[in-house]
Amino acid sequence: MSEPAGPPAPETRAWERLLPPALFLVAALLVWEAAVWWFGIPRWLLPAPTQIAARFVKMKTLWYHTGLTVMEAASGFAASALVGIALSAGIVHSRVLERGVFPYVIVSNAIPIIAIIPLLTIWFGFGFAPKIMIAAIITFFPIVTNTTRGLKSADASVLDFMRSINATRWQVFSKVQFPCALPYIFAAFRIASSLSLVGAVVAEFYGSDRGLGFLVITSATQLQTDLLFVAISVLALLGVGSFTLFGRIERAFGQGRVDVEYRR
Amino acid sequence: MTSPAPLSGAAAPCIRLHAVGVTYPTARGPVEAVADVGLDIGEGEFVALLGPTGCGKSTLLRVIGDLTPPCRGQIEVRGQGAAAARRRNEFGFVFQEPALLPWRTALANVHLPLEVVGYPAERRVRRCEELLDLVGLLGFKDNYPHELSGGMKQRVAIVRALAWDPSILLMDEPFSALDELTRNRLQEDLLALWAVEHKTIVFVTHNIAEAVYLADRVAVMSARPGRIKALLPVRLPRPRRPQMRDTVEFLEHLRTAREALGG
Repeated sequence: MSEPAGPPAPETRAWERLLPPALFLVAALLVWEAAVWWFGIPRWLLPAPTQIAARFVKMKTLWYHTGLTVMEAASGFAASALVGIALSAGIVHSRVLERGVFPYVIVSNAIPIIAIIPLLTIWFGFGFAPKIMIAAIITFFPIVTNTTRGLKSADASVLDFMRSINATRWQVFSKVQFPCALPYIFAAFRIASSLSLVGAVVAEFYGSDRGLGFLVITSATQLQTDLLFVAISVLALLGVGSFTLFGRIERAFGQGRVDVEYRR
Repeated sequence: MTSPAPLSGAAAPCIRLHAVGVTYPTARGPVEAVADVGLDIGEGEFVALLGPTGCGKSTLLRVIGDLTPPCRGQIEVRGQGAAAARRRNEFGFVFQEPALLPWRTALANVHLPLEVVGYPAERRVRRCEELLDLVGLLGFKDNYPHELSGGMKQRVAIVRALAWDPSILLMDEPFSALDELTRNRLQEDLLALWAVEHKTIVFVTHNIAEAVYLADRVAVMSARPGRIKALLPVRLPRPRRPQMRDTVEFLEHLRTAREALGG
């Protein structure tokens, strides 16, 4: 049994943490900008940061494409989270399900996702559906494996205690196993949120006339490199944003508890 | 405390074990953990199961509490099977580790079984506070387990096992992870609790002094396969007092128990 933990170390202030990387970013952009002008690098090869920024401001349809991609990624992610957590709960409670289904969850991770996109397009057309499905499939594995591990991390003695008071399976799940799994689930969500964006964008590469993936492909084929950089920057920001968001949620849920005790 | 509980199986024992045996399958073939154990435990009696580590005493406790099925023999709790008693929430279990939920406060941890056994909702919080007060932890009711010491956590675990007023307390080496001072303090706490909430207690321990100090009878078990080698009545008056640990009678009991263990 661990000793009572001391108070957590005071967090360094936000600007103290953010200032060094911000300075490096500004420095890198300045060098980039200067290099482009100095060497006269053509715009189609490497646009200067200011050119990219100008394109960003002028690009009126950017939010439309971004919104679509985010919608596809978020829908796929949400569907995957719902089904994945439900399946994990089933796997933890049923031997048959664990032995029968879990191997396929692992196999699903081994199939290159890109190979499935044409198939889904044949079946579901060029609309949102295949994109949402790809986002769901690509996030399914981390969600199921992490949630299952979290649900199984419940302390054996606590489970014995619940059994000794004749707790129902639902009570064991809702009062012990699920709360135990929450840190694992949020860790999975953090990974899955960026993966779902990857899934949606890659799916948009193949047969799509809108979305950030479409933007990436068309700007690349038309050598509109500044637009390509705009799309990549937005994707990077989205990825970082979702990662940070779920990190925050995870920490908010972790208030006043020691997870280490339960992570054997 | 009134007179000691019956020393031998009375007319209607609370718990009756008959020829109980447990065999575990392992990679190197079956291992017999418990062999042919017969024991009657009276209503309100405090029985200690004393034996070396790995002698199957914990397994026997789990068999009584219907957490492990016996391979042979029968267990009766007030004339019915152990499973029926478990379903009626007769057993309060305390384990070697506190096994508290880290995201629940001390009070919420004691509250947990009340949510499960269907204790009247309006009396739950008061009941938890009452129990925490009994073990001097009312001031810590809003603390999380990681903010409590090992002894405090184990006290929370003990009152959690008493929360819904089960008639039988099953304790699996509950104090073995604690330092000696804390252990003695918790032994006093347990005896005080037992005086207030008179339960039948089966207490597993490998500590001879602990078994003698607490129990009405000490069942001495042999190493694997675990069988009951001797049933020693403890003829020390109740209430037990810390100064009794130094009396000749106490030391004689220790010697008898030690000889029974070694022989």
